[in-house]
Amino acid sequence: MKILGTGFKALVEREIFRFISVFNQTIFPPVVSSFLYIFIFGYSLGARIETVNGLPYLQFLVPGLIMMYVIEGSYANTSSSLFISRWANNIEELLVTPLSYFEMVLAILIGGLARSLVTACGVYLVSLCFVQFEIAHPWTVLFFMIFVSLTFSAAGMIMALFAEEFEHLTLATTFVITPLVFLGGVFHSLEMVPPALRGITVFNPMFYMVNGLRYGMLGVSDVSVLQSMTVVLALFLGLFSFTVLLFKSGYKLRK
Amino acid sequence: MTPAVEIQGLTKFYKSFQALDGVSFNVQPGDFFGFLGPNGAGKTTTIAAITGLANFQTGSVRVFGHDVRADYRQSRRLVGLVPQEFNFDPFLSAEQILFFEGGYFGLSRAEARSRADELLKTFDLWDKRKGNYKKLSGGMKRRLLIARALMHKPKVLILDEPTAGVDLELRHHLWDFLRRLNKDGTTIFLTTHYIEEAEKLCSRIGVIHQGRIVAMDATGDLIQRMTGDQVELYFKMPAAGLPDALKALPVFLEENGTRLRFEERHQIVSSVLRILHEEKMDVEKINVRRPTLEDAFLKLTGKKSGIAI
Repeated sequence: MKILGTGFKALVEREIFRFISVFNQTIFPPVVSSFLYIFIFGYSLGARIETVNGLPYLQFLVPGLIMMYVIEGSYANTSSSLFISRWANNIEELLVTPLSYFEMVLAILIGGLARSLVTACGVYLVSLCFVQFEIAHPWTVLFFMIFVSLTFSAAGMIMALFAEEFEHLTLATTFVITPLVFLGGVFHSLEMVPPALRGITVFNPMFYMVNGLRYGMLGVSDVSVLQSMTVVLALFLGLFSFTVLLFKSGYKLRK
Repeated sequence: MTPAVEIQGLTKFYKSFQALDGVSFNVQPGDFFGFLGPNGAGKTTTIAAITGLANFQTGSVRVFGHDVRADYRQSRRLVGLVPQEFNFDPFLSAEQILFFEGGYFGLSRAEARSRADELLKTFDLWDKRKGNYKKLSGGMKRRLLIARALMHKPKVLILDEPTAGVDLELRHHLWDFLRRLNKDGTTIFLTTHYIEEAEKLCSRIGVIHQGRIVAMDATGDLIQRMTGDQVELYFKMPAAGLPDALKALPVFLEENGTRLRFEERHQIVSSVLRILHEEKMDVEKINVRRPTLEDAFLKLTGKKSGIAI
């Protein structure tokens, strides 16, 4: 039987259709809030900061913001898509199809990837109104955009399976994802953190993601790009395998 | 011949509650099979096991020889499911629901579009195809569920109470449609709360009660085997009580002593009439009713007539 065939493509298409059909909830808000972040933190306040890692603060800020929206967008997309499917019971529509569990999971992840790529492009376009620079390592940028997005898409699916109520999804965003992203260096370099906290930062996976993208876009990073790639790949493989396993076992999906 | 659905020793627990207890039966290709049972008997759980919506502890389920666990992609390709509850994607229109369903089952975009158009017309949903499905009436949603299950032309169509809450006219349309579908070769597996519906449509009947199969037979044979004619004798004068000679027989005196009712088995009628003649109890009218599937069902499940099943 064909792997990643017509059924897989149909599910990818449905996932993309889903977030596009509510673009005013999925695409516009991050683009608008990124404008505010860039304008207030980068353009107004950032003008008072000389340089960070040898770069103007506004330039330093853009990759971190893009990564923040990639993480939040991919997590929000898959967690809400799967949780709503469980809640409306239309997950059963999918579970009786001949798609393999691998295909089901991958298709939903690609939906999250598509949303975060669209959002990232939107945020990048907004940043171009304030600052322009040449992308240092385009393939590295692509690597981090794709694998970080897939990683948090998988995290979103896992959360959607464990959550009993919709609030559980937002609790994870409020108390885990957003603090880790902020502490991972979206707005600051490791040099700006008190020495005592630097040791803790290296255990924050978002630190590697933000710095990986910053390296790809600007050529600077607080940590080796290979180390960042390894962390991201390991996380992706772990979470992806776990999601497929949950689907195979039917956890919260089958009676 | 490989059975369309083959279930052997199926056991399913929900925590400590045993929903299915060694269920075994076959449905042959081309059957119009009715699966009956009271609420909570295990009908929907059995369907969920066939379609991959429920895990089970022991036993095996095969669809045209394909194991639903080891070979789930092939077995699911052969089955169309019409669930009891509406479970559509809340973001889609009727047209999109069918289009994506076709895609999941491997139809190309052109094939899915053409098949969706065909089914939207067949089920009289064409004019409503563009709006969100939530705007459809209950009957339309029910038709959309059936259309969705037929998108990939399944060899086995499983319907879990498809006519629940459907008006009489639509119910008759659905019956005609299902009969035609079955005649064209689709195996049909139907659960229903309307026993009359099963009796009219199904060539074979299975009855499940408390997670166990209690009967499995051709519809006519099951009725004959389980029940005899229902006989009612009306007296000219009300009887004060049952004559002693009748007390040993399974007969019931009803309606203030004006009616004697019994089920005709083993030529009980001749004994009853002889005793009544000896007791000089004149019979004014005799009413004989042919047994129905409902009589057999009530007997098998120990339910009383009038109780919701």
